[in-house]
Amino acid sequence: MSTTRGLRRRVALGAAVALTLAGLAACVPSEPDGASGGESEDPGRSDGGSGGELAIGTTADVVNFNPLVGNSRTDSWVTNLMYPAMMTIDDDGTKVPALATEWGYGEDGLSAWIEIRDDMEWSDGEPLTAEDVVFTIDAVKAEQLGTVAGMISAYESATAASDTRIEFTLSRPDGAFLNSIGFWMPIVPEHVFGQAPSVADFANDSDWVSAGPFVLTRVERGQRYVLEAVDTYPLAEDGRAALDRVVFRVYPDVNTEVLALRSGEIDLIGNALPPSVARDIEGDEELQTFSVPSLGWAHMQYNMRRSPLDRVEVRRALAHAVDYEAIREVVLGGNAVSANSSVLTPTFKQWVDETAEEYEYDPELSRELLAQAGVENLELEMIYDAGDPNISSWAELVRDQAAEAGITITLAGLERNTYLARTNERDFDIYAGSWAIIDEPQSNFSLLFAPEGFINYAGVNDPEIDRLLAEASSALTVEDARGPLHELARIVTEQVYDNVMYVEQFTFAASNEWTGFQPKPSELLSVVNPQSLASVRAAD
Amino acid sequence: MALLRFASLRVLRGLLTLWFAVSVTFFLVRLLPGDPALAIASPTMGEDQRQQILADFGLDRPLAVQYVTYLGELLQGNLGVSFRQSVPVADVLLERLPWTLILTGSALIVTLLIGLPLGVLAATHRGGALDRVIQIGGVVGQSLFVPTVGIALLYTFGLWLGWFPIGGAIDDDVYGLEAYASMLRHLVLPCLSLVVLQIGAYVLTLRTNLIDALGEEYCTVARAKGAPEHRVVWKHALRNALLPTTTLVGLQLGFLVGGAVLTETIFAYPGVGRAIYESVGQLDFPVLQGAFVLLAAAVVVANLLTDLAYGLLDPRVRAA
Repeated sequence: MSTTRGLRRRVALGAAVALTLAGLAACVPSEPDGASGGESEDPGRSDGGSGGELAIGTTADVVNFNPLVGNSRTDSWVTNLMYPAMMTIDDDGTKVPALATEWGYGEDGLSAWIEIRDDMEWSDGEPLTAEDVVFTIDAVKAEQLGTVAGMISAYESATAASDTRIEFTLSRPDGAFLNSIGFWMPIVPEHVFGQAPSVADFANDSDWVSAGPFVLTRVERGQRYVLEAVDTYPLAEDGRAALDRVVFRVYPDVNTEVLALRSGEIDLIGNALPPSVARDIEGDEELQTFSVPSLGWAHMQYNMRRSPLDRVEVRRALAHAVDYEAIREVVLGGNAVSANSSVLTPTFKQWVDETAEEYEYDPELSRELLAQAGVENLELEMIYDAGDPNISSWAELVRDQAAEAGITITLAGLERNTYLARTNERDFDIYAGSWAIIDEPQSNFSLLFAPEGFINYAGVNDPEIDRLLAEASSALTVEDARGPLHELARIVTEQVYDNVMYVEQFTFAASNEWTGFQPKPSELLSVVNPQSLASVRAAD
Repeated sequence: MALLRFASLRVLRGLLTLWFAVSVTFFLVRLLPGDPALAIASPTMGEDQRQQILADFGLDRPLAVQYVTYLGELLQGNLGVSFRQSVPVADVLLERLPWTLILTGSALIVTLLIGLPLGVLAATHRGGALDRVIQIGGVVGQSLFVPTVGIALLYTFGLWLGWFPIGGAIDDDVYGLEAYASMLRHLVLPCLSLVVLQIGAYVLTLRTNLIDALGEEYCTVARAKGAPEHRVVWKHALRNALLPTTTLVGLQLGFLVGGAVLTETIFAYPGVGRAIYESVGQLDFPVLQGAFVLLAAAVVVANLLTDLAYGLLDPRVRAA
């Protein structure tokens, strides 16, 4: 008997030791081979480099290395450093040159062209030409890839007129076409992606080739993504990135990232900091912060398929029952600006409607409007993503303020996938959420307000809106599109088709040991956009 | 002959358990709210594109068809391809598994090395101050919430004292001995939080059993024969008291894995637990199914091996 027990005990401990040793053996990295070590360590750079390593915190792994498929934030941060976009966005929310130098439409709007730089090449030495652009957009159309596929419904075909000129044929005038593909479509190398039987299924998880400032050289899932600077990156001031290396490190959440930043484990946090954390950080002398506006907005939508939300008086009553300024000051700690209840937000200087006015907080007016509509004891449920700290906080304020106007709002903070499912099924009275990026109102507004729009959660179905959408989308210049868009935005505000509450100002934090960051609007571009990371250098 | 019959019955039982676990997982992940296409969808995608994604994942077919296809693939050793990463699930898991083995294995070793002496101390000082402290510590440890322990450890030892790193499992560019040292430094805090959480169960179980054993007649006889107390405790009583404690190792295995999901997430430790956590958020069914098959198989195989070993050594077991 004692032999059996002894054996059990030893089996338990022995198994634990064996498991641990097996794990250890598999995890200890083997030293790189001396002969090829230099090459594999630093494939792009031949000068040895002394620009240092910048460690960036992120809260998620790269899900997919194929930039035409992956669409998570970390995916974009990493792949944007390798697959260049033709345009980027400036502080006024305007699209400006990156890989592209010039672009325009033909007079009838059925053709368009883009000129790209002539000095770009992939890190394996192949030149980046117009052929790569044509290959990319054709792959997106043929295989209906990712986000971009939904933006190119007007696209028919493209040809490379020269190494630097791409000419497009469109089926109808689409004034947002060039800006959309310019900003959203990363250009991939035809000589690599074209080898795969299907671009959609191409994992692109090794032997990366880059035309950005850095190239991925090592991936340790769950831990880090190492990118080395490449020899030439013409968009950088010195013709290449000042840094030698960029490492993305994975942490479970922003709070842990802040611990890591303060302990010196990382130099920069890619994610926007929640307002409470941002306030805390701003007093730290060893850290610097950057503030950029969102390219979207936070809002509530009222489900007009349901009575009595189909009545404009009721929606107005709801809109006047919220103290927006209090939400911006108290919940967001001032890190938000008013959009004057307009879907044309102040982030986009060329579109903003200066005459727009915010819904006034007036519970009495709300009561009157409800009385006019003959609605009593209004009870509604509001759904939101419980994982969003800002919305979870202001949802409570909205509920309490609505109570002042005699409206009962029941809060339903949901797990993210449940929230997405209920939103998609339009199963809500009030939807609270935010758009991350609505950068091209000419085309994006169709998604929001056309009857069949994928994110037309409120159920807008208004012939006047449809007419203005058509007019705006076919306008080929900002001047021509502005009129119909302003008119459309005014109707949206009047009818409370979308209750725009604020535009968040994101805060990012970095160690003071680095300088040269170029923050850009949105959490997508953040301070980790290619232009920014190409110009970061050690502070003196 | 009896041994062969015993062994085949146990293997059959193991396979049935595995099939049950696989099936429950298959249907459970499909009960999660939302669908994988929505988790991926971006606003510019249309309904057509969403339906296309579902079709690509095979989720447009009837559930029964999906289930039979999945079991067929599984029988051929194919765990499928990750929805989100476009790479085989086996690759995803094999990359993560070693880290989970290190974490759970070392947590188990440390728990046993510290927990057993503590249990003995508590039992031999029954009713005394030491006993009370150990008991209270054990109960508190068991009732703590993993993230609370994790964050407390991170603040204290990671940020404030700066002794250990905030996250990860190993530093960049370290090799040989340096790599082992780096892994050890990264292992300390996550391992410690797992130890804190599970050590109570071992200490308290051992304490109770040891107290029972010390009251048994054979211990009285040993004492009457003049054996010193430490010999009575360590040689006679402990051996019997350890039996239920070692059984606890098997029972706690599931708990340890559950703890690893949270611990790995908090400490950014790149193991299977963290992969499970991420896959739940992304509704990556193939990775979730694969991870659970792996864990279920580990538990089933461990139990099977123990059963077989007992059967080999103790004829009474295989007669039962």
